[in-house]
Amino acid sequence: MSGFLIRRLAQGVISIVGASIVIFLISRLSGDPILILLPNDASPALIEDTRRNLGLDQPLWRQYLIFAQNALAGDFGRSYRWQMPALRLILDRLPATIELALCGLVFSVLIAVPIGVLSAVHRGGWIDRVGRIFAMLGQAMPAFWVGLLLILVFAIHLNWLPAFGHGGVSHVILPAIALGWYPVAAQTRIVRSAMLDVLDSDHIRLSRALGTPEHLIVWKYALRNAAIPLLTMLGVYFAAMLGGAFVVETIFAWPGVGRTVVEAVFSRDFPVVQAGVLFTSILFVISNLLVDLSYGIVDPRIRDAR
Amino acid sequence: MLLQVENLRMHLHLRRGVLQAVDGINLHVAEGETLGLVGESGSGKTLTGLSLLRLLPKGSGRIESGSIRLDGQELTTLPEAELARDIRGRRIAMIMQDPMTSLNPVFSIGDQVGGPLRNHDIARGTALRSAVVDVLKRVRIPSPEDRLGDYPHQFSGGQRQRIVAAMAIGCTPRLLVADEPTTALDVTIQVQIIALLRQIQHDQGVGIILITHDLGVAASLCRRIAVMYAGQIVETGPVRAIYRSPSHPYTQALLAAIPRLHSKRTRLAAIPGQPPSLIDPPSGCRFAARCPMRMDQCAAPPPTVDLGDGHSAACWKLAN
Amino acid sequence: MRASWLPEWARGLPWLPLLVLAAVGLCAAIGEDMFPFDPNQLDLSAAFRPPAWQEKGSLLNPLGADNLGRDILSRIMAGSRVSVIVCFYAILFSGGIGALAGMIAGYFGGIVDAVLMRLIEIQQSIPAIALALILAAALEPGLSTVVVVIVLTYWAWYARIIRGEIIALKGRDYIAFARVAGVGTATIFVRHLLPNIFNTLVVLATLQVGQVILFEASLSFLGLGIQQPDISWGLMLADARQYITNAWWAITMPGIAIMLTCLSANVFGDWLRDRLDPKLRQL
Repeated sequence: MSGFLIRRLAQGVISIVGASIVIFLISRLSGDPILILLPNDASPALIEDTRRNLGLDQPLWRQYLIFAQNALAGDFGRSYRWQMPALRLILDRLPATIELALCGLVFSVLIAVPIGVLSAVHRGGWIDRVGRIFAMLGQAMPAFWVGLLLILVFAIHLNWLPAFGHGGVSHVILPAIALGWYPVAAQTRIVRSAMLDVLDSDHIRLSRALGTPEHLIVWKYALRNAAIPLLTMLGVYFAAMLGGAFVVETIFAWPGVGRTVVEAVFSRDFPVVQAGVLFTSILFVISNLLVDLSYGIVDPRIRDAR
Repeated sequence: MLLQVENLRMHLHLRRGVLQAVDGINLHVAEGETLGLVGESGSGKTLTGLSLLRLLPKGSGRIESGSIRLDGQELTTLPEAELARDIRGRRIAMIMQDPMTSLNPVFSIGDQVGGPLRNHDIARGTALRSAVVDVLKRVRIPSPEDRLGDYPHQFSGGQRQRIVAAMAIGCTPRLLVADEPTTALDVTIQVQIIALLRQIQHDQGVGIILITHDLGVAASLCRRIAVMYAGQIVETGPVRAIYRSPSHPYTQALLAAIPRLHSKRTRLAAIPGQPPSLIDPPSGCRFAARCPMRMDQCAAPPPTVDLGDGHSAACWKLAN
Repeated sequence: MRASWLPEWARGLPWLPLLVLAAVGLCAAIGEDMFPFDPNQLDLSAAFRPPAWQEKGSLLNPLGADNLGRDILSRIMAGSRVSVIVCFYAILFSGGIGALAGMIAGYFGGIVDAVLMRLIEIQQSIPAIALALILAAALEPGLSTVVVVIVLTYWAWYARIIRGEIIALKGRDYIAFARVAGVGTATIFVRHLLPNIFNTLVVLATLQVGQVILFEASLSFLGLGIQQPDISWGLMLADARQYITNAWWAITMPGIAIMLTCLSANVFGDWLRDRLDPKLRQL
């Protein structure tokens, strides 16, 4: 167990450090950060001074170390726009993003598992066929358009649910559907093919021969096997939700990291963009790590192999 | 009579045509008796076993005619729901061939052995737990109390087959269909499993249908055997009679093919030729093409000839 | 319907998707001058005109008009050009860079391979949209930024798959013979490796089309991609969002264009994959 854990942790750390280097380098592409920090009419002396104070006269690798050191200390700089530490701002907005991503994930799994299971049980039947058409459509619709259509139908025409904002359960429904829409197709496919494999296995045949009711065979004995491949992918899907959140939060005016970063891009609020993107990446890596560590809970074979 | 099967036909409706997998089988098993169903792979013996439980290949399998009576109750017309509730696992249980794949890898042994007991409303709660421990003891799993939470991969192949047996006998069925229960196991383990089956039979008075391609295993456990070829039973009778005077040419060939040295695989392969396709099989004797004693008459279906003492065979040579 | 006069390879071609893709390609090729309407032509009297089949609709604007009276059909046709251009460059560069990286890593193995795999992992730890955001903040948003973002996101996808194929190929006898016989590395790459991964590359590129279109639309929608006055489907949707209560058609029509194009590309890609490289099925 511990060897595996250490290896996975090390990989995670490398990924995060790498991501921070990429983020740092790209930020430097924009040219001299001094010009953004100081007013246009700043005196050359002041520019020189600030440059030295911020360490911008150092070689690039040195600058990265300073950036990393500050980041580790939780200092990403101050948001120009919000007049508060960038990290503080991102941390404030993080729970809303995680809430949305989790809801999106729950939505996609709640749709994908029953459709995948029923498609496998009634292979070639109408659920299987309709599910496949739906999956093809789902993969061809951008999340933001799904969101707009949802607003159009459910908020404007039917007036059932609020179109934007953050609050009770009713606020999260539409954004969660928009976010969870895209991965449903892939998840359905995973569940379906895993179920087809399991339903054809000897132990399911034995369960049948011993009179286990069909609903238990499908939803208990087969599904727990078939859930493993989906579970191993959940981290990837959660991560994808974090990516999708940038768009969906913007449409639904959801007060999360995504919308904050998008707005910060337009107001050239660099510290916020850096902190937001780095934090998303860290979450990304952590969610994958957590899933890797949790296989064992569902799959006893892996639990012992470690 | 515990089980009476008459003229059972089970056909598979495939895209290529109708495969006559089980074609007019007659069988009977008395209480506490073991019947060996012997034949090459593809002879339809496993599908016969599954037909008894009406577990037919989904979409293609269909029982065309015949009757299956368990303690006088007709099973072929019983609704599926009743079959699952009252027959499968309750009065007829089955053990599958490969113990390595017969157990669900993600459920604990306690859960799996307890499954049939729970589903058939035999025990619940703490009674369930002690019933599971009890049945695991009966199949000789050491210290079962401590192992209820263990998973299949933590057991050896022989132990797993014992656990499968425990699942099957938990509800004290009247009939046990054991499909090649020893084939996938080492020779020493085979002996143990045969001993276990014998003990189960002795303790519970359960009737057993032992499906096997291994005449040696059949002889060591059964009093009567039925030899299957190409979906039909060609010879049936007491083990001793069949070993002493095999009457059907196929049975003779089978016995002749047992090598002196104990080698596993080649046993039945030594008969020249291939069994006929069961899609459009020959209308006469199905063994005729491989039979060394073939006659013109063999183009017509052979009569079943009673040889006395419950021994009979389906062959023209015996009728003449 | 079995068209026996068709050559073998063309039978069972997904004609409908190909037709859609051809239409998109045609619109992109002929340019705005040939369209029934100038896509940027303002006509305030036609503002918010609904599609032709609705009351107050007009055949002049079959799919309706937007808030400034611009013809939506013409704008969708004009928007196809951006989609095609972005697809072309993004796929060319991500496929090219990814394939080269994958071939080098797979062929040489060792340190090169280890470094590449770490790079892929790092790349995959930054969400694509986040990468786009930070790039857009650093560079000027626009078509080339969109292409850069997509290339940075997708090269790893190619690299990973091509690397696997090269490792498998390397074990084959004729590659080993070529190496022993002293054939130059460049020659082995071009003459032996490239032809063998060609099918895979074609399939991957086709499957990428739909994703590139979605990606471009998302970026443009956020304002990080194509900028006014250029026309892109994503940008049309961003505009239409502001008057979503007034004109449902302005929201739906460009989205349907995106959906049909992606759907067609995906169906065609699946068909191609089953034909050329069935082992990629798990993608």
